[in-house]
Amino acid sequence: MNPVIAVDNLRVRLGKREILKGISCRLGASGVGKAIGLLGPNGAGKSTLIQTLLGFHKPSAGSAQILGFDCHHQSLDVKTRIGYMPENDSLIADMTAVAFLRLMGELSGLPAAAALEKAHETLFHVGLGEARYRNVGTYSLGMKQMAKLAQAIIHGPELVILDEPTNGLDPAARQRMLVLIKEMKEQHGMNVLLCSHLLHDVEQVCDEVVILKDGQIVHQCDLVAERQANKRFVQLQVSGDDRNLAAALREIGAEGVSESAGTWRIVLPVEIEVNALWRISARENLRITKLAYRRDTLEEIFLKAVGHLQPLPQPEVAHGRI
Amino acid sequence: MAVFKRGYQRYDGPLTGPVTRFLAVPRFVWPKILGQRFVVILLVLSLFWPLMCAGFVYVSNHADLLPSLGSGGDDGIRKMLAIDGKFFAIFMNVQSTFAILLAAIAGPGLIAPDLANNALPLYFARPLSRWTYIGARMMVLFGILSLVTLIPGLFVFGMQASLASTAWLQANWFLGQGIVLGFLLYIVMVSLIALTCSAYVKWRVVAGALVLAFFFVLAGASQIINQVLRVEWGSLLNPGYAIYTVWCALLGVEATDDAPGAWDCFTVLLLMLGALLAVLLRKLRPVEVVS
Repeated sequence: MNPVIAVDNLRVRLGKREILKGISCRLGASGVGKAIGLLGPNGAGKSTLIQTLLGFHKPSAGSAQILGFDCHHQSLDVKTRIGYMPENDSLIADMTAVAFLRLMGELSGLPAAAALEKAHETLFHVGLGEARYRNVGTYSLGMKQMAKLAQAIIHGPELVILDEPTNGLDPAARQRMLVLIKEMKEQHGMNVLLCSHLLHDVEQVCDEVVILKDGQIVHQCDLVAERQANKRFVQLQVSGDDRNLAAALREIGAEGVSESAGTWRIVLPVEIEVNALWRISARENLRITKLAYRRDTLEEIFLKAVGHLQPLPQPEVAHGRI
Repeated sequence: MAVFKRGYQRYDGPLTGPVTRFLAVPRFVWPKILGQRFVVILLVLSLFWPLMCAGFVYVSNHADLLPSLGSGGDDGIRKMLAIDGKFFAIFMNVQSTFAILLAAIAGPGLIAPDLANNALPLYFARPLSRWTYIGARMMVLFGILSLVTLIPGLFVFGMQASLASTAWLQANWFLGQGIVLGFLLYIVMVSLIALTCSAYVKWRVVAGALVLAFFFVLAGASQIINQVLRVEWGSLLNPGYAIYTVWCALLGVEATDDAPGAWDCFTVLLLMLGALLAVLLRKLRPVEVVS
């Protein structure tokens, strides 16, 4: 299946600084609604990557393609197939929401009558139906976010790029936004590229995740596969001198890392029972105070990827498409 | 089914072409501009001079009526009533004043709000390039300024052509061509000045004043250069003078001997347009890159 986004050794230089340093990845699947999370610490190059995909920056090397079209050389073809919701306030304030959406629809290639119809339809869809004849400039922050989402999807694009869509939203509005994003991929078959700092949001709606750091992809995983993977992650809390625990775990074929004093995360191979941990603890004169099965949360994946957490040893079975 | 009951569905119909998309911007902006009171007043005022000219054209083509009014039918009056290049040069000069005023009122609201509201990424994330965006914004001004320049100009020329003999049209067809080309060049220049001011100055009033100042300041500067250096080429810096010289050349009106020629003026105007375009393009970026 063709990827929605294909990036090959993409390098982008802004001024004298190289922001993206040879990124390569294939994300999403054309024709299948999928959500891809784009994560990374500040200055990692997320926005630059998005802007390069939108054709705003010229790659200094490599290429980026969306739905098979080159983002730089065939940018008009790309732009007819994508919708973009910018992070910052980005609206035409002195227009009613209907007029604003209609203009955006027509600029995307919708005939005038269809644009008007879709403007109403989309505004009702995002919950701005009652306020659609108000000037966009008078909207609250949450309403503006919804209006931005509406303009991104009015023409029914195959790929919607959302830059921090839940910024500044109250919990109810945030939940509504996430529901809309889920609907976009599940009911309408759109692909979504979601750039957010809120890992919980990404975890809730995304199927794939790409983590950028210093202009490079440091991790890429399929969250669905991660969720389904039968990894046996164990969280262990012990009291006593646990300096030899890592070596003892390796003896039985398990791998573990110390998260903090007395707190360990361990990957148990399938053939090893939990009882083995009790035996090792007894041998090392350690008292187990807590033992729990657990999976990596996205937060842990993220922190590991950006180097704020010691990396977990990788199991032999490859999960996701690293 | 009512829209609110129908729910959202992805659009899968045919898409319009680049020309329709290009014209979407002016279609949305024209009603707003024409809804401004000052614009309407200016448009009405700008019609008086063409009407007077039209009356003059009528009278000049019915000069045989004049002796009956007791004004005499000598050659002096007939020469004064002649419809020639000079007549249209004066006509264009007067109408150009209204065009500048209109551009000063309508122009500042074209780009500044998009920059203030950070709307450019929305435009450029769609199949619309920077050139198309500028073209669409210029199209807005082209439509408005045509109402006081091209359309009345062609109306007066057409009236003269219809009232005069075929021989007159055969001898003076270049006047029509001069009106079209001269006003087109003028509209492009004024539009670019207005758009550039709109792109760099946030406040409409200040941007409008800057459009007017562009002409006055450069006219003053060109006079200072001429006086201080005792030269004539300083006039080239005066866009009003330069465009008038080009018009005169297009309409077959003799220019002053010592002053810079039409080709010099035309070249300077082209350079000025290029500079304005470069300055405008520099400002119109979908994202600001901080180096």
